[in-house]
Amino acid sequence: MEGLRGNWTQTLFVWGANNYGQLGLGHKQDVLLPQALKEFAGSQRTLRNVAGGGGHSAVITDTGELFLCGQNKNGQLGLNHIEDVIHFTLCPSLSGCPVVQVACGWDFTIILTESGHLLSCGSNSFGQLGVPHTLRGCSVPQKIESLKDNVVSVAAGLRHALAATENGSVFQWGTGMVSHAKRSCQGKTIPSFLRAKEPCRVTGLENIQVKNVTSGSYHAASLTAEGELYVWGSNKHKQLVSKDDFLLKPRKIEPHCFLDEKVRRVWNGWTHVVAQTETGKTFTWGRGDYGQLGRNGMLSEGQSRDEKRSTEFLFKEPLAVPVTVPSLTGASEGEPQC
Amino acid sequence: MSVFHDEVEIEDFEYDEESETYSYPCPCGDRFLITREDLENGEDVATCPSCSLIVKVIYDKEQFMCGEEVSAPTANKELVKC
Repeated sequence: MEGLRGNWTQTLFVWGANNYGQLGLGHKQDVLLPQALKEFAGSQRTLRNVAGGGGHSAVITDTGELFLCGQNKNGQLGLNHIEDVIHFTLCPSLSGCPVVQVACGWDFTIILTESGHLLSCGSNSFGQLGVPHTLRGCSVPQKIESLKDNVVSVAAGLRHALAATENGSVFQWGTGMVSHAKRSCQGKTIPSFLRAKEPCRVTGLENIQVKNVTSGSYHAASLTAEGELYVWGSNKHKQLVSKDDFLLKPRKIEPHCFLDEKVRRVWNGWTHVVAQTETGKTFTWGRGDYGQLGRNGMLSEGQSRDEKRSTEFLFKEPLAVPVTVPSLTGASEGEPQC
Repeated sequence: MSVFHDEVEIEDFEYDEESETYSYPCPCGDRFLITREDLENGEDVATCPSCSLIVKVIYDKEQFMCGEEVSAPTANKELVKC
């Protein structure tokens, strides 16, 4: 649920589920092979960021224009109506306010502007818009006023959202993880940031400079300037490299899991994680029963000889620890997209 | 791979009063659906109308099978207490 960054293409190809027109092709039939989107093919626009939610998609150009399409039942396209849209459509209410990043949750959208402000639209059933006065939702992007600090990174989960600020702090809002936390951690106090309907500082990351946040459906991750990866939330599919069912606070994934290399990029799928280190090694872990890890349970050469990783845990649950996917090594230009 | 895509607690479903249907996000973009009547009849499989995935619904069957006297818990009601 997190987009790609960096100018890298003039043509956007789309494929897959299209039941709400989220591919922007002008129809609602699923598409089995990649197709170029005419709107962006050969145009002067350079794409900066692409993001996909439950049934909607968003694209940002290098001039900060935001285009959206797909499901709009809750106003998640920010177009001031709730009809599905089958062509990528410019979000008009943002003109004069360039967008630098967009994060699509299940049925909501979080927009980061060049000035470091956040806006949100779509469903607010779980407080995921970060604007408590909007009860059910909103079809026009509205500013999340309570977050005063400038934001540099934003992410959206199934029913929650996250932001990293200029000074390296992380905020979370939306109650999507609460029920999982309560069931898994009975008797323990649930931290306020998991229960918040407005941006609330994530505890356990004090004195840590976070530069990038990403999110899965019920888990979250923060990458620090030093290349350390912190994770919290649901561990139902072992996506947190932990034995606990749920982590109430961020926990660092031990550097030896990444062969003591610094992590430079991270992406999250619904229930799995992809991380890339400074040398371009790409690691995957978490749920893999649909092939989403791009590997089987075997260790790649080099890792099998690493004694620190040769734990009983690793061999019992081979998908539950980061393992490199050799074919993705150096996949830094065509960035992975979960 | 299990026949079920996942096991999901009823409190994580959203309830639509009008259609008396519980729904939960499916990775394909649609939603797994199960009606209140299904639950009252002891059904515990929510299906997605757009793809082949199904989820097992975890709920207290006795509470639902008691009929009209007991109101169905919803995710939102539970979350209001937070």
